[in-house]
Amino acid sequence: MRPYTRTFTVLAQDPGARLAGNLVFVPVDVPYEDLGPGPTGYRVRVIDFDASADRLYTSWDDQRQPADTYALPEQSLNATQRRSWEQKLLSDPRFHAQNVYAIVMRTLARFEFALGRRVAWGFEGHQLHVAPHAFLHANAYYSREDKALMFGYFQSARTEETVFTCLAHDIVAHETTHAILDGIREGFTEPSTADQAAFHEGFADVVALLSVFSLPSVVELVLADGATPVQTAAGVRMIAAAAVSEKAILHSMLLGLGKQFGASLDADGGRADCLRRSISIAPNADLLSSPEYQAPHTRGEVFAAAMLRSFVAMWTARIAALGRFQHNQYNLDMVLAAGTSAADSLLTMAIRALDYCPPVDLDFGAYLSALLTADTEALPDDGRYKYRALVRSTFASYGMMPSPLRTDPHTGCWQGFASNAEVVYNRTNSESLLRDKEEVFRFLWENRRLLGIDERAYFRVSSVRIISRVGPDGFFLRETVCEYVQVAQLFGSEAMSKLGVARPAGMPTRQPITAYGGGTLIFDQYGRLKYHVEHRLDDAERQSKRLEYLWRNGLLDAMSGRKLQFGELHELRCGSRQ
Amino acid sequence: MVRTMRAKAATVPATGPTAVTIFTYQVGFGDCFLLRFAYPDQPRHVLIDFGTTGLPPGTAANQLKMIADDISSKCNGKLDAVVATHRHQDHISGFARAANGKGPGDVIRALNPDVVVQPWTEQLDLAVDATGPRKAAVRQRAALTTMQAMSEQILSLATTTRARRLPKSMVDELRFLGEDNLSNRSAVENLATMGRKRVYVYHGSKSGLANVLPGLQVDVLGPPTIAQSASVRKMRSRDSTQFWHLRLAQLGAHKGKAGIAPPLFPDFVAAPGGKLPMAARWLATRIRKAQGEQMLSLVRALDKQLNNTSVILLFRSKNKKLLFPGDAQIENWEYALDQPGLTDLLADVDLYKVGHHGSLNATPRTMWDGFKKKGTKDGPERLTTILSTRDHKHGNEERKTEVPRRTLVAELQEHSHLHDTRALQDGKLYVEVHLEL
Repeated sequence: MRPYTRTFTVLAQDPGARLAGNLVFVPVDVPYEDLGPGPTGYRVRVIDFDASADRLYTSWDDQRQPADTYALPEQSLNATQRRSWEQKLLSDPRFHAQNVYAIVMRTLARFEFALGRRVAWGFEGHQLHVAPHAFLHANAYYSREDKALMFGYFQSARTEETVFTCLAHDIVAHETTHAILDGIREGFTEPSTADQAAFHEGFADVVALLSVFSLPSVVELVLADGATPVQTAAGVRMIAAAAVSEKAILHSMLLGLGKQFGASLDADGGRADCLRRSISIAPNADLLSSPEYQAPHTRGEVFAAAMLRSFVAMWTARIAALGRFQHNQYNLDMVLAAGTSAADSLLTMAIRALDYCPPVDLDFGAYLSALLTADTEALPDDGRYKYRALVRSTFASYGMMPSPLRTDPHTGCWQGFASNAEVVYNRTNSESLLRDKEEVFRFLWENRRLLGIDERAYFRVSSVRIISRVGPDGFFLRETVCEYVQVAQLFGSEAMSKLGVARPAGMPTRQPITAYGGGTLIFDQYGRLKYHVEHRLDDAERQSKRLEYLWRNGLLDAMSGRKLQFGELHELRCGSRQ
Repeated sequence: MVRTMRAKAATVPATGPTAVTIFTYQVGFGDCFLLRFAYPDQPRHVLIDFGTTGLPPGTAANQLKMIADDISSKCNGKLDAVVATHRHQDHISGFARAANGKGPGDVIRALNPDVVVQPWTEQLDLAVDATGPRKAAVRQRAALTTMQAMSEQILSLATTTRARRLPKSMVDELRFLGEDNLSNRSAVENLATMGRKRVYVYHGSKSGLANVLPGLQVDVLGPPTIAQSASVRKMRSRDSTQFWHLRLAQLGAHKGKAGIAPPLFPDFVAAPGGKLPMAARWLATRIRKAQGEQMLSLVRALDKQLNNTSVILLFRSKNKKLLFPGDAQIENWEYALDQPGLTDLLADVDLYKVGHHGSLNATPRTMWDGFKKKGTKDGPERLTTILSTRDHKHGNEERKTEVPRRTLVAELQEHSHLHDTRALQDGKLYVEVHLEL
């Protein structure tokens, strides 16, 4: 039988993170495919060109023999042998290429698993280019224009060793998430409020950190600090309750991003802990209105903090429900299973929420409503641990409430579409409507007045996607998600007449403005409209907030027609711009 | 602090200057202003900046020397003060001396200014007071040295054969910014030893011009010290020296050959950049461009940091206010504008030297919007603006960062009486603006 998956050894943390003296190499499974040199597969193309050295490095090539060349040797290694084996991998660019390939593919597979469909990249084409050693620079980013992930390397200011961003699991997963998110929602890179750019960053951090919990061996190493767990006479592996308390988990290495990168930026190890530890931001409902959290990179950390604290609350609730053994200990394997399950559930909720988000001008409130709605659709009963209630209350503790528009005040979910009786269905083909952009556009055109679409603005259907999942009754369920986007070009003098908002103080009448509107339509399996999640063009409050933000920050002029530049944003995030 | 400034304004002595004439010299992309203050006894002269990074086509090769001679003639062999707002080439290259002792910097030196005013970051002996910590100043100077070494590296790269593989506009910008940020050693040393007294200023400090310009209040609005700046940003002030050292290392300069890093994996080199297999070429072109952009981002950050050391001076007589901000960009302005009442103090400015040759970020919108004397109707009370610049030297129209910024120039033309060196006819040495004080 042909194998469905293939095993690759990767670094599950980064070369700066050692547990019991060892680097955290683990075998991971990725979908099997017939790989070419690079590796090059059907979604990823690794090309190891280094612009700073002007050299192309030797490609990874399995010669069509699908063995994991870099697997940990089966015979046990002493400390010296282990170090030597680790050094061999770190100094081999082909291992670096394998590492990025496997992490990118795993991250992509995780999204496709949650969504039940293939996820396209945000650019024309099928293969994402990956440059593991693109240049000598302390940065890594996704570039839609280059259809690529660029990973830099640099000399540590502290140890003078070379830091490879392509070897940091969380950095690779973070950049991959940007690329995937761009494929799912192209409008999220448009200039908008601080929330939208912040969401891209915060969401990528959350995926990067939670995805590690699908590797129980890594979580075990961190919880046990590399030590071998004590076993009961019955063979049950134990862990002290203190090691899995809320406090211990909040301070865990697992929830800090970019350990080696952070420790290498300053000679004094000023960020010795890690590049970012969003979870250390204590809940405070006023944070998002404070000046310090207006920039996308700091604001995104508040979003990440809310998600990660939700995860910690979910995990600790499940741990508390486990019985304790004598000497105040827990069954380690049960603790690990609880962590894996909690992370898996939250990650699935987080990813599925994307389908229920408005396509433009996303804010945290709209995302929260999308998450609650998507999860309610999948699991109407909130279950024993009340995950939705928990996420909602954690978000509230950071001042993030469900969207105030068109949501149920009790559940925070989007209100279902209530005007089906008035919808004109008979001028569209119901089968075609569920997969064809032209048909969806015809549906929108015929129903534009009912749906509140301003026909003066240019509008188009940007995507039609199928959602497949198992419904609450155990039956296979198919729904369709369609996005449409409206774009309006106007001048400052038209802010009031076209958008219903006052022109920001000091804005010239001739200032060009691009405003966006749009909606997400969710059709049920019968082709009936179930949800219309809209951010209307004439939503004065949203447009006013966006316009004020872009104008006040000088972004309206400079970023006109310009997508979010992750290279610049990441440079700011790692503090490498002053 | 603004209250203090207002109180001082009320005590401006009646023996102050009655008028000022400003000679804005044609230095292309650069600044050079000679301010002649008319006093009852004799005129007093202050030179603000003298540098260029690109003279207009057709100007004489010895333009800077001609300007220096003209300054010498206008001030009758004696300058009262020199202000060098910051050490960019387009502001101080004219102060460079020649081996034969006949350079423009030699001419200015011979005018023996009573005082030379520079930002606190230029103080060689670093006796900065408590608000500009000595340690921070030492680090700032070390950072400047590293930054300028970085500029040399970037300039080297922009002139190697590898630069041919980068877009021309990118190489041009790298070259321009690299040149502008070079150390200008001769000019720096000349300024550090010129005249009778050197004064190093920061926001709120004395200008050092009180004795040479009696009856005129001169406020120093910028640059802020590191401590002042950090208080605005509410963030940890990072060690600037380490930052630029890290960046210099990123250019591969520490390993030898300019701009080229040694291979990371010498045993795994499959092909040099000039002989790439077909499969790698498409991406390699993009990675090269991305690397160029990373370098540009560094050199832009460096450029901005130097711009933000600019001295910002506000000259106040009984009836008029003149604002000279050098190349200060928003980060420099941020601290000043954050002080209560300062926007009001600037509201009735009569003459504004357009910041940073008309760039996007050097004229804060809140300040410009607050200028009450701007307007479309001509008249004696209308705001006067001076712009010393040259097209197509800096920035990029596509990115809407071209200098001067088209939209700003349109605003200046519409709402002020604009004097623009680009309008100077061939051979004319300066634009002259006269203001009764």
